[in-house]
Amino acid sequence: MNPILTVEGITAGYGRVTVLHDISMDAGRFGNVGLFGPNGHGKTTLLRAISGLLRPKSGRILFDGQDITGLSARAIVGTGLIHVPQGNRLFPDLSIADCMALGAYSPRARPHEAENREKVIRLFPKLAERWRQRVRTLSGGERQMVSIGTALMSDPRLLILDEPTLGLAPKIKDELCASVMDISRGGVPLIVVEQDIEFLLELTQQLYLVNHGAVATEIKPGESLDHGEIMSMYFGH
Amino acid sequence: MSALAEILFGGLFQGSLYAMMAVGLALVWTTIGVFNFSHGVFMMLGAYIAWQLVEFGLPAAVAFPIAVVVMAGVGWILQASVVRPLIGRPNIVLVVVITTLAAGSLIENGALTIWGPRSKQIPALIDGNATIGGVGVSLHQIAIIVITPLILAALWMFLNRTRLGLALRAVAQNEDASHLVGLNVTALYGLAFAIAASLAGLAGIFMGGYRFMSPVMGSDPLLKALIVVVFGGISSISGPIFAAYLIGFFEAACSYYFGLYWTPAMLFGVLILTLMVRPEGIFASRSRGLA
Repeated sequence: MNPILTVEGITAGYGRVTVLHDISMDAGRFGNVGLFGPNGHGKTTLLRAISGLLRPKSGRILFDGQDITGLSARAIVGTGLIHVPQGNRLFPDLSIADCMALGAYSPRARPHEAENREKVIRLFPKLAERWRQRVRTLSGGERQMVSIGTALMSDPRLLILDEPTLGLAPKIKDELCASVMDISRGGVPLIVVEQDIEFLLELTQQLYLVNHGAVATEIKPGESLDHGEIMSMYFGH
Repeated sequence: MSALAEILFGGLFQGSLYAMMAVGLALVWTTIGVFNFSHGVFMMLGAYIAWQLVEFGLPAAVAFPIAVVVMAGVGWILQASVVRPLIGRPNIVLVVVITTLAAGSLIENGALTIWGPRSKQIPALIDGNATIGGVGVSLHQIAIIVITPLILAALWMFLNRTRLGLALRAVAQNEDASHLVGLNVTALYGLAFAIAASLAGLAGIFMGGYRFMSPVMGSDPLLKALIVVVFGGISSISGPIFAAYLIGFFEAACSYYFGLYWTPAMLFGVLILTLMVRPEGIFASRSRGLA
């Protein structure tokens, strides 16, 4: 299969600090993609560059054949590339209903608003019970559901999740992982950053170890690794 | 009886003007996170543009709406020129205080050059007087008391019942997340400034109808609006609205019982007390957001 997303030699950073050094990767050739690696080595920065929150200094990003390098975040949302940022901060004083309406803000997603809302409620029935409640009054797991639900309202053609299970209790985490698997089975390709390697191995078919702002290792299907090998990649030999 | 009526009326009237001004300040603060010190100048400019249009021979009913729309454009341009380029810099709040003060000073002196220092007046919304509860009032002031809550209610409806209003509230809470749902954040910033400037311009038109106008007419209302937003809390727009009317009543009562001379001192007394007891404002929740 052709990759739906191709990142070619992206260099990016904040001010004078360069975080990503000529990083290349692609997604969609084998299925879902997982990114892992130590904190502070550029995973989130890479996602921010892909979704247009951060303008790369050089390199090229292609989404479904279209060059999206340097496009505004809004234009990129318009192509169907949707990014769920880390930390479920979202809109604390808006209700769940408001967040879902915002998710369907782009002209591309608006015609499918009702149908996507149904999908979100089927996936996260808990949200329906708290539909008019403010996001700040929800639990961490529920807030993460709102984040992902909002992204689904944007009618994603590729969904990027940045540490969706960060800080969640084990039981809630398992529920959320199951929901993410459901989304994937529903036909939306995923790029997931995650510290939980077990979850990544289960969910994704292609893995990248991001280290020092570059891809240290790519793991393709058939090159399956066991937990111990990945741990040694993380921590060095 | 007439004392109460006088305080009530004075409070409603002053409160209306303060609310109109304070809401604009709060709208800009909650969406962009900056304080607009040219807000008083917006008020003055709205009044002068209306005056000029009336002078050209337009009827007030046409001139006033045009002035309000022109002010929206002025707000947008000011935002694009002295606020937007600075967004993302460190110390943005302080820097924008300086740039908006500078822009305000330029506009104020521009007005002085164009229209001169001589006091002017624009037509009242409605001519004539009435006596209510033993107090003589002008119909212009009655009109302001009636129109202001309607406009504020319309603004509330816009923010809470429309998709665009929802977008404005969202930008106020999380800029990155707003980008990621596809909102046009820069346009929304411009819109916040445009609405604020229109409301200030309208307040100026209201004021120019019963008091003489001068190029510095906006500085006192800006100061009062600042007191209102500090008192009511700047993190929402309903807080400043309630606070505006409270301050209006307080001011009316003070000037009735203690005289105009002591009123500003007492107002600042209230302000200092608020800052000591509840620095986030009496109606404020601890977060930033429009509601």
